[in-house]
Amino acid sequence: MKVIAYILYLFLIGLYQVIFRDITGIYGASINLAAFIVLAVAIYKSELAAAWFGFAAGVVLAAGNPPLMGWQALALALLGVFAYNVKERLNLESLYAKILLIFGGVLLHNVVTLLIDGGDAFLYRLVSESLTGAVYTSALAIVFFLFKEEVVTPAKVKSVF
Amino acid sequence: MNWISNLFSRYWRNVHLGTVVLLSILLIIGIPAINKFVSEVAVGIFYYPFFKVESSIVELVDVRNESRELRQMLVESSVKISALEEQMRENERLRAVLGFDPPPGYDLVPAKVISVSSDKVPISAVINKGSQDSVRVNQAVINEDGLIGRIVEVMPDFSTVQLLTDPANRVAVRVTESRDMGIAKYGISEGMYLDNFPIQGRVEPGNTVISSGLGGVYPGGLKVGTVRSVKRPEDAPFCDVKLDPTANFYSLDELFVLRSQPR
Repeated sequence: MKVIAYILYLFLIGLYQVIFRDITGIYGASINLAAFIVLAVAIYKSELAAAWFGFAAGVVLAAGNPPLMGWQALALALLGVFAYNVKERLNLESLYAKILLIFGGVLLHNVVTLLIDGGDAFLYRLVSESLTGAVYTSALAIVFFLFKEEVVTPAKVKSVF
Repeated sequence: MNWISNLFSRYWRNVHLGTVVLLSILLIIGIPAINKFVSEVAVGIFYYPFFKVESSIVELVDVRNESRELRQMLVESSVKISALEEQMRENERLRAVLGFDPPPGYDLVPAKVISVSSDKVPISAVINKGSQDSVRVNQAVINEDGLIGRIVEVMPDFSTVQLLTDPANRVAVRVTESRDMGIAKYGISEGMYLDNFPIQGRVEPGNTVISSGLGGVYPGGLKVGTVRSVKRPEDAPFCDVKLDPTANFYSLDELFVLRSQPR
Protein backbone atom coordinates (compact mmCIF):
# COMPACT_ATOMS: atom_id res chain seq x y z
CA MET A 1 0.00 0.00 0.00
CA LYS A 2 2.86 2.36 0.82
CA VAL A 3 4.40 1.81 -2.60
CA ILE A 4 1.06 2.56 -4.29
CA ALA A 5 0.92 5.93 -2.51
CA TYR A 6 4.40 6.81 -3.79
CA ILE A 7 3.47 5.71 -7.30
CA LEU A 8 0.41 7.96 -7.11
CA TYR A 9 2.71 10.83 -6.10
CA LEU A 10 4.77 10.12 -9.21
CA PHE A 11 1.60 10.19 -11.34
CA LEU A 12 0.74 13.50 -9.67
CA ILE A 13 4.13 14.85 -10.75
CA GLY A 14 3.46 13.64 -14.32
CA LEU A 15 -0.01 15.18 -14.33
CA TYR A 16 1.33 18.49 -13.05
CA GLN A 17 4.24 18.60 -15.49
CA VAL A 18 2.04 17.85 -18.51
CA ILE A 19 -1.15 19.76 -17.80
CA PHE A 20 -0.98 22.15 -14.85
CA ARG A 21 2.58 23.50 -14.91
CA ASP A 22 1.92 25.98 -17.71
CA ILE A 23 -1.58 26.81 -16.54
CA THR A 24 -0.51 27.65 -12.99
CA GLY A 25 2.69 29.48 -13.98
CA ILE A 26 2.84 33.20 -13.15
CA TYR A 27 5.39 35.30 -15.06
CA GLY A 28 7.92 32.47 -15.31
CA ALA A 29 7.47 31.32 -11.70
CA SER A 30 6.01 27.86 -11.31
CA ILE A 31 5.36 25.45 -8.48
CA ASN A 32 8.14 22.90 -8.01
CA LEU A 33 5.78 20.07 -7.17
CA ALA A 34 8.40 17.31 -7.36
CA ALA A 35 10.67 19.00 -4.79
CA PHE A 36 7.67 19.84 -2.61
CA ILE A 37 6.45 16.23 -2.50
CA VAL A 38 9.98 14.94 -1.81
CA LEU A 39 10.31 17.42 1.07
CA ALA A 40 6.86 16.48 2.38
CA VAL A 41 7.85 12.81 2.30
CA ALA A 42 11.08 13.71 4.16
CA ILE A 43 9.09 15.59 6.81
CA TYR A 44 6.40 12.97 7.39
CA LYS A 45 8.12 9.69 6.39
CA SER A 46 11.48 8.05 6.83
CA GLU A 47 14.89 9.00 5.50
CA LEU A 48 15.08 5.99 3.20
CA ALA A 49 11.59 6.65 1.82
CA ALA A 50 12.64 10.23 1.09
CA ALA A 51 15.85 9.07 -0.59
CA TRP A 52 14.21 6.43 -2.80
CA PHE A 53 11.22 8.59 -3.62
CA GLY A 54 13.54 11.50 -4.40
CA PHE A 55 15.45 9.26 -6.79
CA ALA A 56 12.25 8.10 -8.53
CA ALA A 57 10.83 11.63 -8.63
CA GLY A 58 14.05 12.88 -10.24
CA VAL A 59 13.85 10.18 -12.91
CA VAL A 60 10.21 11.05 -13.66
CA LEU A 61 10.87 14.79 -13.55
CA ALA A 62 13.71 14.61 -16.08
CA ALA A 63 12.25 11.73 -18.12
CA GLY A 64 11.95 13.96 -21.15
CA ASN A 65 15.64 14.84 -21.00
CA PRO A 66 17.66 11.61 -20.47
CA PRO A 67 21.13 13.24 -20.02
CA LEU A 68 19.83 15.17 -16.99
CA MET A 69 17.89 12.28 -15.49
CA GLY A 70 20.75 11.10 -13.25
CA TRP A 71 21.50 14.60 -12.01
CA GLN A 72 17.86 15.24 -11.12
CA ALA A 73 17.58 11.82 -9.43
CA LEU A 74 20.70 12.52 -7.36
CA ALA A 75 19.61 16.09 -6.54
CA LEU A 76 16.15 15.11 -5.34
CA ALA A 77 17.38 12.03 -3.46
CA LEU A 78 19.99 14.10 -1.61
CA LEU A 79 17.39 16.83 -1.04
CA GLY A 80 15.13 14.26 0.63
CA VAL A 81 17.94 12.97 2.85
CA PHE A 82 19.09 16.49 3.64
CA ALA A 83 15.57 17.67 4.57
CA TYR A 84 14.96 14.59 6.74
CA ASN A 85 18.18 15.12 8.66
CA VAL A 86 17.59 18.85 9.10
CA LYS A 87 14.14 18.10 10.48
CA GLU A 88 15.42 15.36 12.79
CA ARG A 89 18.52 17.12 14.07
CA LEU A 90 16.92 20.54 14.56
CA ASN A 91 13.71 18.95 15.81
CA LEU A 92 11.56 21.09 13.54
CA GLU A 93 7.93 20.52 14.48
CA SER A 94 6.35 23.94 14.19
CA LEU A 95 4.39 24.96 11.10
CA TYR A 96 6.74 27.89 10.38
CA ALA A 97 9.80 25.69 10.56
CA LYS A 98 8.29 23.24 8.10
CA ILE A 99 7.36 26.03 5.71
CA LEU A 100 10.86 27.46 6.02
CA LEU A 101 12.28 24.03 5.31
CA ILE A 102 10.07 23.72 2.23
CA PHE A 103 11.11 27.18 1.04
CA GLY A 104 14.81 26.47 1.55
CA GLY A 105 14.60 23.01 0.01
CA VAL A 106 12.68 24.15 -3.07
CA LEU A 107 15.01 27.12 -3.53
CA LEU A 108 18.01 24.80 -3.25
CA HIS A 109 16.52 22.42 -5.83
CA ASN A 110 15.64 25.28 -8.16
CA VAL A 111 19.20 26.59 -7.96
CA VAL A 112 20.64 23.12 -8.55
CA THR A 113 18.30 22.69 -11.52
CA LEU A 114 19.51 26.01 -12.91
CA LEU A 115 23.10 24.85 -12.53
CA ILE A 116 22.34 21.50 -14.15
CA ASP A 117 20.49 23.13 -17.06
CA GLY A 118 23.26 25.68 -17.61
CA GLY A 119 22.41 28.49 -19.97
CA ASP A 120 22.78 32.24 -19.77
CA ALA A 121 21.45 34.89 -17.40
CA PHE A 122 21.97 32.80 -14.27
CA LEU A 123 21.38 35.66 -11.84
CA TYR A 124 18.30 36.87 -13.68
CA ARG A 125 16.79 33.40 -13.73
CA LEU A 126 17.77 32.88 -10.12
CA VAL A 127 15.57 35.80 -9.14
CA SER A 128 12.80 35.52 -11.75
CA GLU A 129 12.37 31.74 -11.68
CA SER A 130 14.12 30.08 -8.73
CA LEU A 131 13.31 32.54 -5.97
CA THR A 132 9.79 33.33 -7.13
CA GLY A 133 9.16 29.64 -7.78
CA ALA A 134 10.25 28.86 -4.21
CA VAL A 135 7.91 31.54 -2.84
CA TYR A 136 5.06 30.22 -5.00
CA THR A 137 5.68 26.64 -3.85
CA SER A 138 5.86 27.81 -0.23
CA ALA A 139 2.44 29.42 -0.63
CA LEU A 140 1.10 26.04 -1.74
CA ALA A 141 2.95 24.43 1.19
CA ILE A 142 1.23 26.79 3.65
CA VAL A 143 -2.19 25.68 2.39
CA PHE A 144 -1.08 22.04 2.49
CA PHE A 145 0.26 22.24 6.06
CA LEU A 146 -2.77 24.16 7.31
CA PHE A 147 -4.94 21.23 6.29
CA LYS A 148 -2.40 18.53 7.12
CA GLU A 149 -1.78 19.87 10.65
CA GLU A 150 -5.55 20.40 11.01
CA VAL A 151 -5.14 24.11 11.69
CA VAL A 152 -7.87 24.45 9.08
CA THR A 153 -10.46 21.69 8.80
CA PRO A 154 -13.63 21.40 6.70
CA ALA A 155 -15.65 21.70 9.92
CA LYS A 156 -13.89 24.95 10.86
CA VAL A 157 -14.40 26.32 7.36
CA LYS A 158 -18.09 25.41 7.58
CA SER A 159 -18.44 27.11 10.94
CA VAL A 160 -17.21 30.39 9.43
CA PHE A 161 -20.13 30.36 7.03
CA MET B 1 25.90 -16.28 8.80
CA ASN B 2 24.65 -14.33 11.80
CA TRP B 3 27.52 -11.89 11.65
CA ILE B 4 26.69 -11.14 8.04
CA SER B 5 23.09 -10.38 9.02
CA ASN B 6 24.28 -8.13 11.87
CA LEU B 7 26.70 -6.32 9.58
CA PHE B 8 24.01 -5.81 6.98
CA SER B 9 21.47 -4.47 9.48
CA ARG B 10 24.06 -2.14 10.99
CA TYR B 11 24.80 -0.59 7.64
CA TRP B 12 21.27 -0.97 6.27
CA ARG B 13 20.75 2.81 5.92
CA ASN B 14 24.13 3.35 4.30
CA VAL B 15 23.50 0.51 1.86
CA HIS B 16 20.25 2.09 0.73
CA LEU B 17 21.70 5.57 0.44
CA GLY B 18 24.74 4.20 -1.34
CA THR B 19 22.51 2.32 -3.79
CA VAL B 20 20.53 5.46 -4.53
CA VAL B 21 23.68 7.50 -5.11
CA LEU B 22 25.22 4.70 -7.16
CA LEU B 23 22.15 4.39 -9.39
CA SER B 24 22.09 8.15 -9.85
CA ILE B 25 25.75 8.18 -10.82
CA LEU B 26 25.11 5.29 -13.20
CA LEU B 27 22.41 7.35 -14.86
CA ILE B 28 24.75 10.36 -15.00
CA ILE B 29 27.67 8.57 -16.58
CA GLY B 30 25.72 5.59 -17.81
CA ILE B 31 25.14 4.08 -21.23
CA PRO B 32 22.87 6.30 -23.38
CA ALA B 33 20.78 3.27 -24.37
CA ILE B 34 19.93 2.54 -20.73
CA ASN B 35 19.11 6.19 -20.06
CA LYS B 36 16.91 6.20 -23.15
CA PHE B 37 15.15 3.03 -22.03
CA VAL B 38 14.53 4.38 -18.51
CA SER B 39 13.36 7.67 -19.99
CA GLU B 40 10.93 5.94 -22.38
CA VAL B 41 9.52 3.77 -19.59
CA ALA B 42 9.06 6.79 -17.28
CA VAL B 43 7.47 8.88 -20.01
CA GLY B 44 5.25 5.99 -21.14
CA ILE B 45 3.96 5.32 -17.62
CA PHE B 46 3.84 8.72 -15.94
CA TYR B 47 3.46 11.20 -18.81
CA TYR B 48 1.79 9.48 -21.75
CA PRO B 49 -1.73 9.13 -20.19
CA PHE B 50 -1.73 12.84 -19.41
CA PHE B 51 -0.37 13.72 -22.85
CA LYS B 52 -3.36 11.83 -24.26
CA VAL B 53 -5.74 13.72 -21.98
CA GLU B 54 -4.11 17.04 -22.85
CA SER B 55 -4.18 16.36 -26.60
CA SER B 56 -7.83 15.31 -26.33
CA ILE B 57 -8.66 18.55 -24.53
CA VAL B 58 -6.72 20.58 -27.12
CA GLU B 59 -8.49 18.69 -29.91
CA LEU B 60 -11.84 19.32 -28.25
CA VAL B 61 -11.10 23.03 -27.95
CA ASP B 62 -9.97 23.11 -31.60
CA VAL B 63 -13.15 21.35 -32.69
CA ARG B 64 -15.22 23.80 -30.66
CA ASN B 65 -13.43 26.79 -32.18
CA GLU B 66 -13.74 25.29 -35.65
CA SER B 67 -17.43 24.65 -35.06
CA ARG B 68 -17.88 28.27 -33.96
CA GLU B 69 -16.07 29.53 -37.08
CA LEU B 70 -18.14 27.24 -39.30
CA ARG B 71 -21.36 28.45 -37.72
CA GLN B 72 -20.27 32.04 -38.31
CA MET B 73 -19.39 31.21 -41.92
CA LEU B 74 -22.77 29.51 -42.30
CA VAL B 75 -24.58 32.60 -41.09
CA GLU B 76 -22.49 34.82 -43.38
CA SER B 77 -23.17 32.48 -46.29
CA SER B 78 -26.89 32.50 -45.54
CA VAL B 79 -26.86 36.29 -45.57
CA LYS B 80 -24.94 36.30 -48.86
CA ILE B 81 -27.34 33.74 -50.36
CA SER B 82 -30.32 35.84 -49.26
CA ALA B 83 -28.74 38.94 -50.83
CA LEU B 84 -28.01 37.02 -54.04
CA GLU B 85 -31.55 35.64 -54.16
CA GLU B 86 -32.89 39.15 -53.70
CA GLN B 87 -30.63 40.40 -56.49
CA MET B 88 -31.79 37.49 -58.66
CA ARG B 89 -35.44 38.41 -58.09
CA GLU B 90 -34.68 42.06 -58.78
CA ASN B 91 -32.86 41.00 -61.93
CA GLU B 92 -35.92 39.00 -63.07
CA ARG B 93 -38.21 41.95 -62.39
CA LEU B 94 -35.96 44.35 -64.25
CA ARG B 95 -35.68 41.93 -67.16
CA ALA B 96 -39.50 41.82 -67.31
CA VAL B 97 -39.58 45.61 -67.22
CA LEU B 98 -37.14 45.83 -70.12
CA GLY B 99 -39.78 44.48 -72.45
CA PHE B 100 -42.34 46.93 -71.14
CA ASP B 101 -43.28 49.94 -73.32
CA PRO B 102 -45.01 52.98 -71.87
CA PRO B 103 -48.25 54.19 -73.50
CA PRO B 104 -47.70 56.58 -76.43
CA GLY B 105 -46.92 60.13 -75.29
CA TYR B 106 -45.53 59.08 -71.90
CA ASP B 107 -42.08 58.58 -70.37
CA LEU B 108 -41.26 56.12 -67.62
CA VAL B 109 -39.67 57.50 -64.45
CA PRO B 110 -38.31 54.52 -62.51
CA ALA B 111 -38.79 54.77 -58.77
CA LYS B 112 -38.13 52.64 -55.72
CA VAL B 113 -40.73 52.09 -53.02
CA ILE B 114 -39.48 53.48 -49.69
CA SER B 115 -42.45 52.61 -47.51
CA VAL B 116 -46.00 51.31 -47.70
CA SER B 117 -48.94 52.35 -45.52
CA SER B 118 -51.56 49.73 -44.82
CA ASP B 119 -55.02 49.41 -43.39
CA LYS B 120 -55.57 45.64 -43.67
CA VAL B 121 -54.35 46.06 -47.25
CA PRO B 122 -51.66 48.42 -48.59
CA ILE B 123 -53.36 51.70 -49.50
CA SER B 124 -50.47 54.06 -50.20
CA ALA B 125 -46.78 53.95 -50.92
CA VAL B 126 -43.92 56.43 -50.78
CA ILE B 127 -41.48 56.40 -53.68
CA ASN B 128 -38.01 57.94 -53.94
CA LYS B 129 -38.81 60.31 -56.82
CA GLY B 130 -40.30 63.78 -56.41
CA SER B 131 -40.70 67.14 -58.06
CA GLN B 132 -36.95 67.25 -58.84
CA ASP B 133 -37.62 64.34 -61.20
CA SER B 134 -40.63 66.08 -62.79
CA VAL B 135 -43.10 63.98 -60.84
CA ARG B 136 -46.45 65.76 -60.51
CA VAL B 137 -49.75 65.12 -58.75
CA ASN B 138 -52.21 62.84 -60.60
CA GLN B 139 -49.55 61.13 -62.70
CA ALA B 140 -50.27 57.39 -63.05
CA VAL B 141 -47.96 54.86 -61.46
CA ILE B 142 -47.49 51.42 -62.97
CA ASN B 143 -45.22 48.41 -62.78
CA GLU B 144 -44.62 45.53 -65.17
CA ASP B 145 -47.91 43.88 -64.11
CA GLY B 146 -50.16 46.86 -64.71
CA LEU B 147 -51.70 49.92 -63.08
CA ILE B 148 -50.69 50.58 -59.44
CA GLY B 149 -52.23 53.97 -58.61
CA ARG B 150 -51.62 57.67 -58.92
CA ILE B 151 -49.45 60.36 -57.37
CA VAL B 152 -51.36 62.31 -54.71
CA GLU B 153 -48.56 64.22 -52.99
CA VAL B 154 -45.20 65.41 -54.26
CA MET B 155 -42.15 66.56 -52.31
CA PRO B 156 -38.78 67.47 -53.83
CA ASP B 157 -37.22 64.06 -53.20
CA PHE B 158 -40.19 61.71 -52.78
CA SER B 159 -43.86 61.32 -53.59
CA THR B 160 -46.89 59.52 -52.22
CA VAL B 161 -48.79 57.08 -54.42
CA GLN B 162 -52.46 56.36 -53.79
CA LEU B 163 -52.80 52.68 -54.64
CA LEU B 164 -55.80 51.12 -56.42
CA THR B 165 -56.46 49.26 -53.18
CA ASP B 166 -57.37 52.53 -51.45
CA PRO B 167 -61.22 52.50 -51.26
CA ALA B 168 -61.17 56.23 -52.07
CA ASN B 169 -59.49 55.55 -55.41
CA ARG B 170 -61.43 54.63 -58.55
CA VAL B 171 -60.47 53.97 -62.16
CA ALA B 172 -62.52 54.25 -65.32
CA VAL B 173 -62.06 50.87 -67.02
CA ARG B 174 -63.07 48.92 -70.06
CA VAL B 175 -63.54 45.18 -70.58
CA THR B 176 -61.03 44.34 -73.27
CA GLU B 177 -63.13 41.67 -74.97
CA SER B 178 -66.45 43.58 -75.12
CA ARG B 179 -65.20 47.20 -74.84
CA ASP B 180 -67.95 47.78 -72.24
CA MET B 181 -66.97 50.34 -69.62
CA GLY B 182 -67.27 50.58 -65.86
CA ILE B 183 -65.63 51.89 -62.72
CA ALA B 184 -63.12 49.70 -60.88
CA LYS B 185 -63.07 50.17 -57.11
CA TYR B 186 -61.60 48.38 -54.13
CA GLY B 187 -63.46 47.47 -50.99
CA ILE B 188 -61.60 46.25 -47.93
CA SER B 189 -63.97 43.29 -47.47
CA GLU B 190 -65.01 42.50 -51.05
CA GLY B 191 -61.73 43.21 -52.86
CA MET B 192 -61.62 44.79 -56.32
CA TYR B 193 -64.88 44.98 -58.23
CA LEU B 194 -66.66 46.78 -61.06
CA ASP B 195 -69.01 49.37 -59.68
CA ASN B 196 -72.37 49.98 -61.33
CA PHE B 197 -71.68 47.68 -64.27
CA PRO B 198 -75.04 47.36 -66.16
CA ILE B 199 -76.86 44.02 -66.02
CA GLN B 200 -76.87 43.78 -69.79
CA GLY B 201 -73.11 44.47 -69.99
CA ARG B 202 -71.00 41.84 -71.72
CA VAL B 203 -68.48 40.48 -69.27
CA GLU B 204 -67.33 36.94 -68.51
CA PRO B 205 -64.95 35.46 -65.97
CA GLY B 206 -61.41 35.57 -67.37
CA ASN B 207 -61.95 38.80 -69.27
CA THR B 208 -59.23 41.42 -68.92
CA VAL B 209 -60.06 44.85 -67.57
CA ILE B 210 -57.95 47.83 -68.63
CA SER B 211 -58.04 51.55 -67.96
CA SER B 212 -60.28 53.35 -70.41
CA GLY B 213 -58.41 56.66 -70.41
CA LEU B 214 -61.54 58.56 -69.48
CA GLY B 215 -61.30 60.93 -66.54
CA GLY B 216 -57.95 62.37 -67.53
CA VAL B 217 -55.85 60.79 -64.77
CA TYR B 218 -54.98 57.33 -66.03
CA PRO B 219 -53.94 56.77 -69.64
CA GLY B 220 -55.96 54.15 -71.52
CA GLY B 221 -54.82 50.58 -72.06
CA LEU B 222 -53.18 49.89 -68.67
CA LYS B 223 -54.02 46.49 -67.20
CA VAL B 224 -56.11 46.76 -64.05
CA GLY B 225 -57.37 43.27 -63.40
CA THR B 226 -58.97 40.05 -64.55
CA VAL B 227 -62.66 39.20 -64.08
CA ARG B 228 -62.89 36.54 -61.37
CA SER B 229 -66.67 36.13 -61.13
CA VAL B 230 -69.85 37.62 -62.58
CA LYS B 231 -73.23 37.48 -60.83
CA ARG B 232 -76.40 38.81 -62.40
CA PRO B 233 -79.06 39.09 -59.68
CA GLU B 234 -82.66 39.10 -60.91
CA ASP B 235 -84.54 42.39 -60.71
CA ALA B 236 -81.26 44.30 -60.17
CA PRO B 237 -79.98 46.95 -62.57
CA PHE B 238 -76.26 46.13 -62.07
CA CYS B 239 -74.00 43.07 -62.25
CA ASP B 240 -71.84 41.96 -59.40
CA VAL B 241 -68.43 41.69 -61.08
CA LYS B 242 -65.42 40.73 -58.94
CA LEU B 243 -61.88 41.37 -60.21
CA ASP B 244 -58.44 40.01 -59.43
CA PRO B 245 -55.97 42.92 -59.58
CA THR B 246 -53.21 42.33 -62.07
CA ALA B 247 -50.57 43.83 -59.78
CA ASN B 248 -49.58 42.34 -56.45
CA PHE B 249 -49.95 45.20 -53.99
CA TYR B 250 -48.25 43.20 -51.22
CA SER B 251 -44.89 43.04 -52.97
CA LEU B 252 -44.34 46.48 -54.42
CA ASP B 253 -40.71 47.24 -55.17
CA GLU B 254 -39.79 49.00 -58.41
CA LEU B 255 -42.47 51.26 -59.85
CA PHE B 256 -42.67 53.62 -62.81
CA VAL B 257 -44.28 57.02 -62.88
CA LEU B 258 -45.91 57.80 -66.23
CA ARG B 259 -44.69 61.27 -67.09
CA SER B 260 -46.40 62.87 -70.08
CA GLN B 261 -43.94 63.94 -72.78
CA PRO B 262 -43.84 67.65 -73.54
CA ARG B 263 -45.69 68.49 -76.74
